[in-house]
Amino acid sequence: MALVHKFLSGTYIFRKCLKPSVASCPVLGTRFADYCSSSLQKPVAAPGKNSSQRNTEGDLQGHHQREVALDITSPGEKPEFSFDKAIKDEIKDHCRRLKDDIVNYWRGPEGRPLHEVLMEQAKVVWQFRGKEDLDKWIVTSDKTIGGRSEVFLKMGKNNQSALLYGTLSSEAPKDGESGRSGYCAMISRIPRGPFERKRSYDWSQFNTLYLRVRGDGRPWMVNIREDTDLIQRKNQMYSYFMFTRGGPYWQEVKIPFSKFFFSNQGRIRDAQYQLLLDKISSVGFTLADKVDGPFFLEIDFIGVFTDPAHTEEFAYENSPELNPRLFK
Amino acid sequence: MSWAQAILLARGLSRGWGGICGAALMGPPFSQVSLQVPRGLHCSAAAHSSDLWLVPPPPPPPRGPTRALAPHEELFRQASDGARDKANFVQAVQAFGQHNVHKRGHVDFIYLALRKMREYGVERDLAVYNLLLDVFPKEVFRPRSIFQSIFIHYPRQQECGIAVLEQMESHGLMPNKETEFLLIQIFGRKSYPMLKFVRMKLWFSRFKNINPFPVPRDLPQDPVDLATLGLRHIEPNLSARVTVYQMPSSRDSEGAADAPEPHIVGIQTPDQQAALARHNPARPIFVEGPFSLWLRDKCVYYHILRADLLPPEEREVAEIPEEWNLYYPMQLDLDYGRSAWDDYEFDIHKVEEGPIFAICMAGAHNQATLAKWIQGLQETNPALAQIPVVFRLAGSTGELLATSSGLEEPPPPPPEGQEEEEDNQPRQQQGQS
Repeated sequence: MALVHKFLSGTYIFRKCLKPSVASCPVLGTRFADYCSSSLQKPVAAPGKNSSQRNTEGDLQGHHQREVALDITSPGEKPEFSFDKAIKDEIKDHCRRLKDDIVNYWRGPEGRPLHEVLMEQAKVVWQFRGKEDLDKWIVTSDKTIGGRSEVFLKMGKNNQSALLYGTLSSEAPKDGESGRSGYCAMISRIPRGPFERKRSYDWSQFNTLYLRVRGDGRPWMVNIREDTDLIQRKNQMYSYFMFTRGGPYWQEVKIPFSKFFFSNQGRIRDAQYQLLLDKISSVGFTLADKVDGPFFLEIDFIGVFTDPAHTEEFAYENSPELNPRLFK
Repeated sequence: MSWAQAILLARGLSRGWGGICGAALMGPPFSQVSLQVPRGLHCSAAAHSSDLWLVPPPPPPPRGPTRALAPHEELFRQASDGARDKANFVQAVQAFGQHNVHKRGHVDFIYLALRKMREYGVERDLAVYNLLLDVFPKEVFRPRSIFQSIFIHYPRQQECGIAVLEQMESHGLMPNKETEFLLIQIFGRKSYPMLKFVRMKLWFSRFKNINPFPVPRDLPQDPVDLATLGLRHIEPNLSARVTVYQMPSSRDSEGAADAPEPHIVGIQTPDQQAALARHNPARPIFVEGPFSLWLRDKCVYYHILRADLLPPEEREVAEIPEEWNLYYPMQLDLDYGRSAWDDYEFDIHKVEEGPIFAICMAGAHNQATLAKWIQGLQETNPALAQIPVVFRLAGSTGELLATSSGLEEPPPPPPEGQEEEEDNQPRQQQGQS
């Protein structure tokens, strides 16, 4: 019974029932917008501000981070309301995951034999071949701070790709403190183990991120977040730009991990360090190019691989002018 | 001096100060009061003997827009009787300096000018930003002691300087040496605007050329040129040929023309031409569109001509005959086992779609215009005459429609247009160029 009580008071999602509260993202502000929807296809939660590059001091123009949850209703199956059955299903599911976890530990890292993991050079991390693959992503826009952009995620044609589409509007929300607005983002959910323990990806043997996308010519930003065990890391991320060509042909985007620059609370920091790949928690795409209008991005799959020709460790060196302390 | 003179001088002084205190309480008459303050101090005190110097002047009735006028906005109002262009903007900025020797309210004025830049069309002009930075009084805000440099010296002014640089940054302008000199003169080398300037120099030069598909900053205004640029942008094959099938006709020339003819520009590579020639006439090909393409901040729409993917049994592998090249074999069937550490392929079937034969950009998105494109294509691809063409024109959500006709897609979210078949009545759709 104590276990059930823990489930009830914890924050996890009934997959088929209404969502009671904000799930995985921590809430820093005090605003909670709870739209109870009929069925839960793509719950929307908010990360920090848009992460376009900015170079000013954070303390002179402080930005607040407000996290608000929104549910976008979308057509789907009707929920079946059976509280006890849902709890039982969840318990069974978590126990099964725990058993898998223990068994996989003996088999090798992530349940695969060690020699396979060591020699792997290319790995598909996210693919979009079914609706359950879309559930691994969260979609956000500046509606959470009062803006007017809309963004939706659905399966592309023939269930072979995912389509992220919507409208960007850079009209600033009239709340007296935002000067600019207009962003849309798609973030992957943090991988969870049994009992909703946070897991992370280990990509230490790969050195390039590979995306097969088809865009409309807009520049996107790819953000990678590291594991959020430490409280300071919640606002930190590594980003780089992804330029789509537009057109009807599929585009392969290869971004080496050495090109990602560090930013904290949405602003590029002076002290840059390379992205460490052993504890990655999520990857996201952001569109904030200040151009109003509709957009779309079709994604086939996202993978990581080792580019043997790429030997760079980190692309940005620290300058003694901006960071004299690093050079003492 | 005599007591009368002292009282009159005190009256004038306190009226000046009272005016400022009154202005702090209410917004609109600030511009009036600031005009009166110098008069109160410099002109003769005898002129103000009849004024009520205890009661601040009543606020003027609200005129015109309900929004309260920002201070110094009348400078922009009087300058912009004519066109709103750079000369008028520069004139307004310089008028501020002449108007106010001590440059009172320069922070507000600079914020106002930053907001007004977009109306005057000068937001991408670096010289104007330097002129705006010139409005700051020089050498006053530089910290002179260590305590001044520890605490943010003149914080509002530094914020204002940062706001100017931030607007420059959001428009992608790189500041130059004049900006650096001005910033050093105004704020000193260790100030926050100077720090932002150094960061802008660093990060802008790092990210200047990272776009693998650069689009020129000044897009051509002519729709045919824009279409050519867009088509060359999306077609990676450099041997593709761009053909203009129809030039846009001017509206005022022939009054008898019922509809203005939109431009039609198409692109096709030699490989696509060969593939179309080989295409089986029993299978239809589809004209799909319009799909959106963004070039900087302009959206153009394109249509594609494509066929469905052949089922695996019908796909034929092109056999290169042995005699094609006698010097070395074109096909090697070696079976060297590559072990796992050489395998750079992803373990997934990539999305396969049918071949694309041509792409076009047209001024209108209706079937009649696209039919003209197909007719134009027939000149270079005679095989097209035998192949049935199906028009699938949808709204501009930008996604390609389903390939196999057996799949019924769930009703998509708005806006989504209608599918058309060649036999149905062609429905006119609004062009969105």
